[in-house]
Amino acid sequence: MQKTLLFIDKVSTWVGHAFSWLIVGLTLLITWEVYSRYVLHHSHPWVYDYMIMMYGTLFMMAGAYTLAKNGHVRGDMIYGYFRPRAQATIDLTLYILFFIPGIVAFVWAGYYYAAESWAINEHSNITSEGPAYYPFKTIIPVAGAIVLVQGIVEIIRCVICIKQDAWPSREADVQEVDVDELKKMVHVKDEDIQKLDAYVVHQEPGK
Amino acid sequence: MKLRKELWFGYSIMALIIIPVILLTPWGDLFDGNLSRADLGVLGLLMLALICVGIMIGFPTAFTLMGMGVFFAWLAYRSVNPELANRQVLDLFVQRTYGVMSNEVLLAIPLFLFMGYLVERAQLIDRLFRSLHLATARVPGSLAVATIVTCAIFATATGIVGAVVTLMGLLAFPAMLKAGYNVKVSAGAVTAGGCLGILIPPSVMLIVYGAVAGVSVVQLYAGAFLPGFMLAGLYVGYIIVLAKWKPALMPPLAESERYVALPHFAQTLAQHGSNAFTGLWRAVTSSGSDAVAKRTALGQLFVTLTPALFLAAVLAVTWQLATAPEIEASTAGLIEAGGLVAAPEKESEMSTGLIGATELETEKPTGAAEGSKELSPPPVLEKAKTEGAKEVPGAVKAPKAKPAEKVAAEPERLPVPLWLWIAFGIGIGTIVLIYWLWNWERLEVFKMLLSSFFPLALLIIAVLGSIVFGLATPSEAAAVGGFGGFVLAAIYRFITHRRDAKATGSNPGAAVWKTVKELGGIVKESSFLTAKTSAMVCWLFVGSGIFSAAFALLGGQEIIEKWVLSLNMTPVQFMILAQLIIFILGWPLEWTEIIIIFMPIFLPLLPHFHIDPLFFGLLVALNLQTAFLSPPVAMAAFYLKGVSPPHVTLNQIFAGMMPFMGIQLIALALLYIFPAIGLWIPHALYK
Repeated sequence: MQKTLLFIDKVSTWVGHAFSWLIVGLTLLITWEVYSRYVLHHSHPWVYDYMIMMYGTLFMMAGAYTLAKNGHVRGDMIYGYFRPRAQATIDLTLYILFFIPGIVAFVWAGYYYAAESWAINEHSNITSEGPAYYPFKTIIPVAGAIVLVQGIVEIIRCVICIKQDAWPSREADVQEVDVDELKKMVHVKDEDIQKLDAYVVHQEPGK
Repeated sequence: MKLRKELWFGYSIMALIIIPVILLTPWGDLFDGNLSRADLGVLGLLMLALICVGIMIGFPTAFTLMGMGVFFAWLAYRSVNPELANRQVLDLFVQRTYGVMSNEVLLAIPLFLFMGYLVERAQLIDRLFRSLHLATARVPGSLAVATIVTCAIFATATGIVGAVVTLMGLLAFPAMLKAGYNVKVSAGAVTAGGCLGILIPPSVMLIVYGAVAGVSVVQLYAGAFLPGFMLAGLYVGYIIVLAKWKPALMPPLAESERYVALPHFAQTLAQHGSNAFTGLWRAVTSSGSDAVAKRTALGQLFVTLTPALFLAAVLAVTWQLATAPEIEASTAGLIEAGGLVAAPEKESEMSTGLIGATELETEKPTGAAEGSKELSPPPVLEKAKTEGAKEVPGAVKAPKAKPAEKVAAEPERLPVPLWLWIAFGIGIGTIVLIYWLWNWERLEVFKMLLSSFFPLALLIIAVLGSIVFGLATPSEAAAVGGFGGFVLAAIYRFITHRRDAKATGSNPGAAVWKTVKELGGIVKESSFLTAKTSAMVCWLFVGSGIFSAAFALLGGQEIIEKWVLSLNMTPVQFMILAQLIIFILGWPLEWTEIIIIFMPIFLPLLPHFHIDPLFFGLLVALNLQTAFLSPPVAMAAFYLKGVSPPHVTLNQIFAGMMPFMGIQLIALALLYIFPAIGLWIPHALYK
């Protein structure tokens, strides 16, 4: 079971990683466009469409990845103080109550939305002769479906956790604040921090 | 024991919401079979209460919003026409989602995040801190001052509180403790400084607010600039005063701590005199001295002259702009403004669509009117032009090449040149003073600053400047900034590797290869993090899109509005109440949730009290910054605790943050009493 869960995690992560490269493309595209406009005095109207599409695709396709890494923002007022079993019970209930209906509606609505766009062969309404928009709109149901699958994985995780009273493991990923990495970057070792304690203790009697 | 206490706190707040809801809701009316208009409004309020509880329980907020939004929107539609309800809800949901996906304002978020992550990994913070520490060595409390300044610059460029506090906790905190600084003061400086990045643009928070409120991000950036630096200035002022007042808290640095090692040539030349400027000048001009190679001296002289050259360039540009003939100025203005106007106007329209509150519809025409007002030439030119045109018609015709004395000599041309003249005087005075004090140590410190402080400052100024002066939209500037961040990371990593290669004697090709390999890693990590964080923020927008639409459909907004208006508050009372609520929300919630979910409830109330949403946004940004420093949930404190020596307690850190929190409240009050602090720049530039 755990293997299957981790495999789906990996798929979501892989999709998220693959699409996260869009930010590099987006940065380069806009930088080049700015350069082209100010230095070469030649701007490309279609760049605007691609900018929007790259941004939209980037965050939509990273939704499941973020879910797989437990990265969606949570109100952490009492949740963190619960035992894992209580956490899992809350999560399980709300996944079924909120997540499943919400995301199912999302995929369903997105499916019809995209289908309409395909049917009329929709192109950009922002720039004339702009690029096709139906692939972009297809992103909605596709991203929603991946999030749904990942959500089912999370639900199974909750069930496992309720049984074991411990969260099943996840695979590691890049962290926003990776303390060890930052320590390495500024060449600080744990011993250095330990040594500093002398200065702190030294101050104590004064107060 | 501690766990229990915190759980109790959470439970009691939830009870505070749930019990009144259960008692006050007219359950009988809701379940009597048909939903009247009033019942829907009640449902709206019920939904709001439920979402508060839902968020507090700790389920991912984006999905809570989605689930609830879909359900309540369906209820609202069903009460009108049960047959169409399913179809309508799905349409609404997908349109809201697509609105977020194609939102031009939010587009800037991943770009700024990417820039931040790149700069964070550029390996320049230790250089930055070291050079600033030496530069401020003579100031009382110099290490704490250097900490704040480093944070202000670095946090501005990255905008990631956790990373900045952790890094400064590893770099500055030990340095301060070693120098005998008080633990509390040191902790306060690190945490307070680390949070500055939230307010000082380019901050992601202001983009999110701009998208929610339909306020132009450009104006928000222009407005947040002064309050941000005012806050940093207040911090620095507080530290200096405290260091003077109680030197025991921050003893002056030992001689060894501020010693600047001079390179060989400087030691040789220093024997002839302590002023580096004259010393170098002599070394370059005198033909006899062979103590120092001409090339070295010339290079150093060039470095020495950079401030003067920079000032000359700035003054020349100002001069050009101020005295440019009228025709030239106005056409140049129109071309530039063309690019400028398209962005803010479209932004405001697109983002009003996002919120879905009916009130905002009325704002559209005014937004468009503002847009057309903005069509006038850009700020500097216009200011110069109108001043010139109103008071001295002759001045504008003055050819650029006209000698300065002549312009100054003719009395009727004074107004334009007068401020320019004063600027000239101040600039030249400063430069003379700088060179007067320019000794060999200062030259070394300046060179260090040149390789750490100025590149980063230049990047920020370029990004902000191009946004504020309308040369680029925020997303364009962010993309170029991200590219700049990449270049910075490349240069700094390469310098480090080349130094290592030189030290170990390996060939320089290896350094290039190592840099490229590392850069690959940096870009990869940064883009993954960007994807995760922007997914977090934007999915929250997707969820809140359907949620706020449902809230508007149910008419919850109307009820709140009627209720608030029935209280007969003065604008001041309303403002204080709103800020107080936001401050309290800042404890349990993240700023993203507060702005995306709760701000749309406040925003439609603003016109009733004649409050500028721009000004409100600045207050909110300053206010939410306080939330990062207010115990018991201050995140900054926990990041610092994670890297501090074991005997530093959380309580000490909290105690250290308190005075800085007080300063933030003072800053909030100052901004409130003197709105010009925030509004002066946007008004001068765009009105």
